[in-house]
Amino acid sequence: MTGQAEHASADHARILQVVMIGLGDEKFALDAAIVREIIDPVPVTKVAGAKPFVPSIINVRGNIVPLADLRLRFGMPLTDASADTRIVVIEIPIDDEPVLVGLIADKVYEVTEISHADTQQTPRVGVNWKPEFIRFITKWRDEFVIVPNMERILH
Amino acid sequence: MSKPDWTQAFRLEATELLETLEGALLDLCERPDDRDLVDSAFRALHTIKGSGAMFGFERVAAFTHEFETAFDKVRKGEISPTRELITVALSAKDYIRSLIESPDGTDAIIGDAILDDLRKFVAPAEPHEASAVPPPSAPPVAAAAAAESGAAAVGWRLHLEFESHILRNGSNPLNFLDDLSKLGPCFAVALTDEIPLLDALDPEECYLKWDVTLHSDCSREVIDDIFMFVIDEMVLSVTPLAQSELPAADQHPTTAPDVNVSTAPAATAPSRSPASHSPPSISSPSEPRRDEQKRGDDRATATVRVQARRLDEMMDRVGELVIAQARLSQLAATSSDPSVKLIAEEIERLAGSLRDTTMGARMVPIGSVFGRFRRLVHDLSLELSKPVDLVTSGEDTELDKTMIECLADPLVHLIRNAIDHGIEATAARVAAGKTEKGRIELHAVHSGAQVLVTVRDNGAGLNTARIRAKAEEQGLIAPGAELPDADIHQFMFHPGFSTAQTISALSGRGVGMDVVKRTIETMRGSIDLSTRPGEGTTVTLRLPLTLAIIEGLLIRVGEARYIIPLSAVEECVELTAEDQRARGRHFLNIRGDLVPYLMLRDILQSTVSPDTYQKTIIVSTGETRVGLVADQIIGNHQTVIKSLSKLHSDVTIFSGATILGDGTAALILDVAQLVGLAQAHADKHHLNEAA
Repeated sequence: MTGQAEHASADHARILQVVMIGLGDEKFALDAAIVREIIDPVPVTKVAGAKPFVPSIINVRGNIVPLADLRLRFGMPLTDASADTRIVVIEIPIDDEPVLVGLIADKVYEVTEISHADTQQTPRVGVNWKPEFIRFITKWRDEFVIVPNMERILH
Repeated sequence: MSKPDWTQAFRLEATELLETLEGALLDLCERPDDRDLVDSAFRALHTIKGSGAMFGFERVAAFTHEFETAFDKVRKGEISPTRELITVALSAKDYIRSLIESPDGTDAIIGDAILDDLRKFVAPAEPHEASAVPPPSAPPVAAAAAAESGAAAVGWRLHLEFESHILRNGSNPLNFLDDLSKLGPCFAVALTDEIPLLDALDPEECYLKWDVTLHSDCSREVIDDIFMFVIDEMVLSVTPLAQSELPAADQHPTTAPDVNVSTAPAATAPSRSPASHSPPSISSPSEPRRDEQKRGDDRATATVRVQARRLDEMMDRVGELVIAQARLSQLAATSSDPSVKLIAEEIERLAGSLRDTTMGARMVPIGSVFGRFRRLVHDLSLELSKPVDLVTSGEDTELDKTMIECLADPLVHLIRNAIDHGIEATAARVAAGKTEKGRIELHAVHSGAQVLVTVRDNGAGLNTARIRAKAEEQGLIAPGAELPDADIHQFMFHPGFSTAQTISALSGRGVGMDVVKRTIETMRGSIDLSTRPGEGTTVTLRLPLTLAIIEGLLIRVGEARYIIPLSAVEECVELTAEDQRARGRHFLNIRGDLVPYLMLRDILQSTVSPDTYQKTIIVSTGETRVGLVADQIIGNHQTVIKSLSKLHSDVTIFSGATILGDGTAALILDVAQLVGLAQAHADKHHLNEAA
């Protein structure tokens, strides 16, 4: 469901249901179809030797789920958990198998709709993000919102 | 598990073969001219005979041999399979089944009668086979068996009453019953009517009495001998068991009415009454026989094929249950409500046994795979004109079903290679002063947390020079490069590598060994290879016991807790100050042996300062021992193994994760990987010292 999104045709302003989360100073829109649940922070278990952006595992209803930190992927400073911190559990295919992944979110705003019509083609100046991590950037309530390409980010 | 599992494997195999045989025979009734059916029946017979002999079922083999001989005429087309013949054949099939299921309880005389009938059909002396013989053999067999029963109806009826204080003297009445059962088929009924209510029950008193029916031709003295030491403290009545004997109730009026309902009929009506309506084979008076007969009838439900996926799902559910139970136990431990504790204990017990049962259902003895290779070796040795013996051992080593399935193909490759490349041609063997027959050994054994499967041949050994030449030819190594032999042998596992001069149908295409290696590695196993020129090659597959649930040792390193598979743990010792002072050496002195050790806090990147008293857990894989230094040893833990996700597939020192009683995740240490790591450390240390 990722590929075709970039080429949204203008006449057909497609609507995407998303879960809006906050990471650092940015807002990210996660495709609602991949979000399984949103949970309060749970004790994490550090995995020595793991890739830096998936440093730990958590227990989600009896499943061992890797906990990814997108802030590391986007070069943001790490902050301590606050009262707003949540874990968003998403399910994405990795090597053709569905995998549950927990994402740390500094804040979860709401489930909302964004439109491809508002797509901002140009990434904002001065931000050193890998282009393949981003599906597109759009506007929501006059703010820039990043729609990340989770499969690439977690690969 | 007292019986070796290969017997069970044979029984299962035979069950399927007998079903094939039966199906073929029944179809033959409809289509007597179908050669394929005759052949398939014959094949089934032949296999039963072969594996029967192999697994020590001599009577099965002998009888099946006779059956086969008779049926051979049908196969050769000398006689046609008439309906009558098939009926006898079917009864012969049933007889084989009962021979397999209860070898001791089946009368040879029945078999002889069936064989006689069979021979009448096929004997050339009988011109009109089909019509000359009265259809099936039930009457003569019944008569024969009845005669037999008269002879065999020797035994004793015992009534045992121990004085109530017998337990305090250290005597266990059950031991006497065990001794009795060694004399012959023995049927004991416990009389429970004197057991008081729970309030009045004194656990040190013996309230039970027993009625025992013993079928044995032993003398009265032998029975008295058993009770020699307690005869003063008991009432023992022994009466001979005769065919005409009245029901037990008459002799011991207390017996029959008082025993509970379900056991009463069995106790008082042993199959002494020849009038019982059962088929011939039951008329011999043996209680176990009855049971086995019954078991035979239930045979259809005795084994059920279950989709592996369902077993996997069941294991998942059990895993979740065990985790939930651990949390409940933890809660209950802090609760002051005794009934909650009681329930928690009950659930712990149930979850434990459910776990064992489920795991047991997934475990398969490796012999079921080994069995297939007899045929393979037999065929290959014919094809290549190299006489080869296959010797297997450790068939009862159990492995998870999925592991067994993955293991079959690699083993086929290894055995093919061993016969094709390893074992020399007969002439060469004789010239080298070896036995004409080659020998391939297949061996499986549990070793710590691993299973080792070894394929050993006594052939020529690997030709290191040729492998090297080939490797140079393929540009894998520079000509003249210095390499240890073991490294050169590793090229065998390189894709597309083959030193066989001629490509045979079997091996030499260079596929195979790399596939073997890949398959074993996907199972997180490893391959060891050792060879001696002129003496043979040994390939050892080291496989982890990837079970869904293991017994683990819970340890703490820094703030994090980890699991070490208990099967790999040998002992736990304290890391002494002396050891720590010599830290640069990284060796422990365990009763004179130098054991390398690893500081887990370094490997696991613990940032918390270590506890004052460090503990060392000595783990082993195969022959190698390594110490793992942790902060604390917490204790045993039922560990439900959950695999790590693909995102963590690059982490090798953990074999999985589990969920602890408080709901947090804990990682399971991969002992084999850690041992490898420690050895690398140790080797480096040696090198440094040498330099």
